Amino acid sequence: MTQVMSLSWWVWPVGVVLLCAAGVGSVLVPRLRAASLERRVAWSAARAAIDRAAVSRDAAPVTVEEAERLLAEAELVVAGGGGPAAARTATDHARRADSMWRAATDA
Amino acid sequence: MPDLRRARGWARWIVLGIAAAVFVLFLLAQRQSVAVSYGQSPSAGGRIAEGSAGELSAATVPSAEEMTALVKVQPVVRLPGAVARWDTERVGAAIAGADIRIIVAPPGLDEAERDRVRAVKEATVRVIGTQVTGGFYQSSHSTVPEWRAEFATGDVTATLVSLIFAIREEDEQLQPAAVTQWREPTSAELAPMVTGLRSTGRFTAPGATLTELPKAVTTAFPDRAPLVAALPRQPFGEPLPHYGRALQSVFPDTPILVMYGDWIEYSGPQAADFAELAAVTFYAQSGDRISRYAYPQRNVLGAYLGRVTDLRYAGLFERPLPYVPFDPVRVGMPALPWLFAACVLVFLLLSVRPVARPTSRWRPTAGPARLAALAALAVEQSALTGRSGDPALTRGITQLSAARAALDDNLPERHVQRLLDAAEAELDESGRSLPFPGYRPGEYLRGGPS
Repeated sequence: MTQVMSLSWWVWPVGVVLLCAAGVGSVLVPRLRAASLERRVAWSAARAAIDRAAVSRDAAPVTVEEAERLLAEAELVVAGGGGPAAARTATDHARRADSMWRAATDA
Repeated sequence: MPDLRRARGWARWIVLGIAAAVFVLFLLAQRQSVAVSYGQSPSAGGRIAEGSAGELSAATVPSAEEMTALVKVQPVVRLPGAVARWDTERVGAAIAGADIRIIVAPPGLDEAERDRVRAVKEATVRVIGTQVTGGFYQSSHSTVPEWRAEFATGDVTATLVSLIFAIREEDEQLQPAAVTQWREPTSAELAPMVTGLRSTGRFTAPGATLTELPKAVTTAFPDRAPLVAALPRQPFGEPLPHYGRALQSVFPDTPILVMYGDWIEYSGPQAADFAELAAVTFYAQSGDRISRYAYPQRNVLGAYLGRVTDLRYAGLFERPLPYVPFDPVRVGMPALPWLFAACVLVFLLLSVRPVARPTSRWRPTAGPARLAALAALAVEQSALTGRSGDPALTRGITQLSAARAALDDNLPERHVQRLLDAAEAELDESGRSLPFPGYRPGEYLRGGPS
């Protein structure tokens, strides 16, 4: 019996390590993947909003200081990179700038 | 599909649970030890203590000079109280005319009396009780029928014959194997025994010395109290009445011990399992003492019951053996690591599957089709648009290109659709500003401008 044990004792530590790795992996990998997806989606939305704001700026007949500042800030954030929170800030700024230029255009 | 995924999740947890259980089992099994029971037998050692046990009888022997004188006169001298008997024909044939003188002393002599008997140099063979010695030799029995004959009737033929051949320095001729002659007891013999056993569980015939049962009776037979019948030493040369067999038909399933003098005959349940073993081990170890002393039957019975107790604790009878013959944990132990490894493997596979394929398979979505339709509309509008619709169209096109980038980037469908919604809203605004109907997305996508 002890001999059988000594031949296969390595199964236990290796098995425990693998189990832990699988458990940690199966929790961490989807979480990391979801985070990466969220970041890419947020940046995609931010870039779309900035592009749209840029078009609105070009179409606007007057200069809106506040909107210029907001868009510059948004572009600065994009240039600096960062997480989804930064991307959402840039999106928010670009949207606000866009709506200001649109209001100026409609007026 | 979700059912399958849920089942997979359950299987994953179950496999993990099994692996943990196996691991715990493995750890617990590490402190398993062998349970040894034969050292815990409560028998009092089964020894027969010197002197204190009443083994010395009232019998005595004359002085050495008197005995020497007697031996010189007769070839065989029987002192008063002697119990040993033998087949004179067979012993005579063994002597074959040689000068062999035998002195037969009673059992239960003390040390000084035994020395007096040994001091009789003229006696070639000394028989004290039923112990046979002579010259440098001591002769002992070695089979159950021989011991039975010796202790039940005082028969020392076999030992005498062996000893005489040894003293004469001749090869012993093949002796017939000892066989016990049994007979059925008569009803007159049996009746008082049955009456006594039925009322007290014990019967002491006239001349027997069993006055009470030893305490070892409860440890030797814990399940059922045995019936004990004690008889005096039986007459030599006559068949022994087999009381045990006869009593068994009266008391079925009851352990029955019949004492013929110093011989104990067991009959009853499990007789085949231990009776012979108990008799052989007991008389082989204690037979020498019993043969030369005159122990009360109670002491002999007590020592015998101690031996039975030892056998019981050694793992005979129904008691589990000290080594456990089948224990699923022990037998399954070598398989445990591999069971554990299999559980780990299954858990790994089940864990890796969802991680390896997050978007389980590429599925056709509405995104590309809607993008194409809106792009076509944008192209149409660009040919017709005026100043007022221009920025909206451009914004729509930026949203369309953002949606396209998102599609290329494998971003989620929901995000693509949100971008397309924004583009559609812009194109709707631009289409509304056109002087022609049918260029708003709602109308265009339904059938296009006709």
